[in-house]
Amino acid sequence: MNHFPQAWGRPRDDIYGHYNSSYLQTANPTQHTQSPVVTGTSVVAIKYKDGVVIAADNLASYGSLARFTDVKRLRKFNSSTVLGFGGDVSDMQYLDRLLNDLDVKENYSHADDEASQLSANNLHTYLSKVMYKRRTDFNPLWNHILVAGISSESEPFLASVDLLGTTFSSPSLATGYGAHLAQPIMRKLVPDEEAVKGISKEQAVDVVKECMKVLFYRDARSMDGYSIAVISKEGIEIKENEKLENQSWQFAERIRGYGTQVN
Amino acid sequence: MAGMFAGPQEMMGYSFNTAPTSASEPRQHSFYPYTDNGGSTLGISGADFTIMAGDTRSTSGYSINSRHVPKLFLIGGEGPKNKGARIVLSVVGFAADGDALKEKLDKEVKMYKYQHGKPMTVSACAQRLSHILYNKRFFPYYVHAILGGIDEEGKGALYSYDPVGSYEREQCRAAGAASSLIMPFLDNQVNFKNHHIPGSGEGHDLKPVVATPLPKETVIELVRDAFTSAVERHIEVGDGLQMMILTKDGVEEQLLPLKKD
Amino acid sequence: MFIARSEYDRGINTFSPEGRLFQVEYSLEAIKLGSTAIGVSTSSGVILGVEKRVTSTLLETSSVEKIVEIDRHIGCAMSGLQADARSMVEHARVESQNHAFHYNEPLRVESCTQAICDLALRFGEGAEGEESIMSRPFGVALLIAGFDEDGPSLYHAEPSGTFYRYDAKAIGSGSEGAQAELQNEFHKSLTLEEAELLVLKTLKQVMEEKLDSKNVQLASVTKDKGFRIYQDAEMEEVVAKLPKN
Repeated sequence: MNHFPQAWGRPRDDIYGHYNSSYLQTANPTQHTQSPVVTGTSVVAIKYKDGVVIAADNLASYGSLARFTDVKRLRKFNSSTVLGFGGDVSDMQYLDRLLNDLDVKENYSHADDEASQLSANNLHTYLSKVMYKRRTDFNPLWNHILVAGISSESEPFLASVDLLGTTFSSPSLATGYGAHLAQPIMRKLVPDEEAVKGISKEQAVDVVKECMKVLFYRDARSMDGYSIAVISKEGIEIKENEKLENQSWQFAERIRGYGTQVN
Repeated sequence: MAGMFAGPQEMMGYSFNTAPTSASEPRQHSFYPYTDNGGSTLGISGADFTIMAGDTRSTSGYSINSRHVPKLFLIGGEGPKNKGARIVLSVVGFAADGDALKEKLDKEVKMYKYQHGKPMTVSACAQRLSHILYNKRFFPYYVHAILGGIDEEGKGALYSYDPVGSYEREQCRAAGAASSLIMPFLDNQVNFKNHHIPGSGEGHDLKPVVATPLPKETVIELVRDAFTSAVERHIEVGDGLQMMILTKDGVEEQLLPLKKD
Repeated sequence: MFIARSEYDRGINTFSPEGRLFQVEYSLEAIKLGSTAIGVSTSSGVILGVEKRVTSTLLETSSVEKIVEIDRHIGCAMSGLQADARSMVEHARVESQNHAFHYNEPLRVESCTQAICDLALRFGEGAEGEESIMSRPFGVALLIAGFDEDGPSLYHAEPSGTFYRYDAKAIGSGSEGAQAELQNEFHKSLTLEEAELLVLKTLKQVMEEKLDSKNVQLASVTKDKGFRIYQDAEMEEVVAKLPKN
């Protein structure tokens, strides 16, 4: 008799050939996201005296492949907040569903009561708890999110949360390459909260458009079609099919130092 | 795993392969749940006061996330602004863990007041914080915490922690990115290390100057000097200096500019 | 009335139409069967006293434990089902040690009493998600004496989960007579020695047996010595001070 339970009730390989065990249950451990797959690049946002301007391009990349060119990465939440998602697109869609459910529940509990609606800061806190919980469970949502809107105190609100649950707030914010390329441009306009009070909507929109252009020039995973939203007390204006204007690639000729042109 | 059965199988003359019973090799996780958000904190306790301080810069690598992210938190006051709080926690390291730790401690201190009908003392809060950190020792809060307050005798109290809850009451402590720059300065200026009484002897017979509690104004100057110096030499420190001065009358907060480069 | 009672006194957590929980009320009756226990609070400490019912001359009186220590600064006297008191005291001891462990300070007497009373209502089927640990209410009342940062204090905890602070309190079979006596004799300026005598005198009045140093027990809680049960020699000394008659 064979003393190995694994052999019981099973054909012998030496007689019947290799046993195909693929139908057997393979007890693999639960798999968590270890790296993002389809990704969105930078999100940029800046506060102005009456609200916030936020923008992100409409591209979803699969590695270096520009896979989807009409992915809307700005998401409206009730009438006071817009979220901008960088990072994994499927995780963005999960969060989108999560927030949709939250919105439905909120509308049930206090329908048509503007004052008690979740404002941008409430939503940011909620998201930060979701993100921190998921990183603590070693199952992160691979995103860097900007939350732009109007706070409970009716002030412009802009804050960020990332896959680790790290949160911070600033007069201007940008995720991914935007943090390197767009932030310096925006910080020149709004170095601190004091400066925000002197910025008009037009100025804010212009600098954001300028940033989107710079990012398109230099970020290989970016696109010239983008979404832009302006959030103020009057509500949300969102345009999802914008094109970059007045591009000038003249600077490219003067670039020296890499590629085939070594010096 | 397959090798486990190889020997006996050969002996028995069976040649089937055993199906793997679990994941054969340990998987490599490429997700690292921590980051360093830079910055520095420090605390100094005096005869009847404690001063806590920290810069307000938040970083990710070489990028500045924001120029104003406070590292000092009021613990256990009333309402969302923690009015009337008498304990201050400073956290530096991984900011998300710092926030989580702050919220947990704040919750516990508030619950304590409801359950026992008295505000928590700093020593009780210090022990509690140690346990909160230690309870997560296998997945630590990646922070260096410093807790400040006024003790039951009215003296300044300062407790410093490592990430897994080992703690100590001290006169002064610097933590975070520039702690190695600030701490030796504090040793010299607060605890009078390497100060000797001139002419008190030769070599080992030189008498050390005995450290005495410093007045509040001197300590505030020391804190400002410590940070302006740290800003010069450490890239993760700068933007703003948040200071909290704790006395028997409560907590006074100050915000001073630091270099933004 | 009686009919209503027999219908509603089975369910452990079912209100009667008059809004009463009979099982809880019955548990209070169990205490009235218990031996008398008295506590008196003074400015310098609290005295606890109990009668030990010596039912047989063969009984080893030192094995009757009706006053126990909870922590160095808290003790309690009991009346009713002693076995029930054991689980309450155990809970209080754990709670007290946990507090010292977590907060590096002694547990307050009121918090200790609250912790015991939290346990008192955990009978019945248990609410959603929460384990119930007991099938019936406790059949014992406690007099909890302690000394904390606010000075000495005395609490009375009932099976119903309610508790009150008292200057002087008697529980058990002789409680009615004893409480009336305490009402007359208690005043704020009692010394600890006077309180010892007041407790013994009151016990003597309500006890069926003749009081001697073997069938009563005293304990004190003071700032300096904490909780302390009186030794046999001390008991004899205090009993000897009682006026003879």
